[in-house]
Amino acid sequence: MIKITKEDFNLEEEFKKIHTKKNGAYSFFLGTVRQDINDDIDGIFLECYEELAYNQLNKIKEDSVKKWNLSDCTIIHRVGDLRISEKIVLVIAAAPHRSDCIEACEYIIDTLKANVALWKFNIKGREKKPVDQKKKDLDKYLNWEQVIS
Amino acid sequence: MKIQKSHELFEFSDELTFSKLKNELIHQNSFFDEIFKDSSIKFFLNLKEITNEDIPINDGDEIALLPPVTGG
Repeated sequence: MIKITKEDFNLEEEFKKIHTKKNGAYSFFLGTVRQDINDDIDGIFLECYEELAYNQLNKIKEDSVKKWNLSDCTIIHRVGDLRISEKIVLVIAAAPHRSDCIEACEYIIDTLKANVALWKFNIKGREKKPVDQKKKDLDKYLNWEQVIS
Repeated sequence: MKIQKSHELFEFSDELTFSKLKNELIHQNSFFDEIFKDSSIKFFLNLKEITNEDIPINDGDEIALLPPVTGG
């Protein structure tokens, strides 16, 4: 299941949706809004080019299912205004064995961070400042490109 | 630097490619020169990344210029 939403999600509910008797392993990644030590923010705003982002997320899912023999995967990404500690993104990779889903989960979040049409802004008071892409995030994505091709 | 326009209309010949569109936009406003020289910006035509600049552009097509993404 792939979803881009303003709404919060429930971890147990999402696990129930993907859980089947054939899976012996699930790998989870949950991203939340961090209170950065160097940048005192009130929260973040996430903007999305939704039509393109759905296409890109579907491709990430398709590639990861094929590469790591996943039985399924869940990707939920929130958009709009989010306060400190709120949930941003959930990835669940499900497979018969753990090594496949752990690696797939890492691939999914690394690729999402560098290649899906979402943009983060830091919010402080009335100020809204775009977050720069980190080189380490781009490098991780580029490393995965070689693995997946 | 901002273009400071919500929209602008241009007329093009029938046989338009992404390459011709680029040149025309640069000619109209130097802002686009910076955009097209910036290797971190990606260009999409109808939700597919443009890899060949000779790709034809037709009526109703949607081109997107995307800065580096920062989701997750």
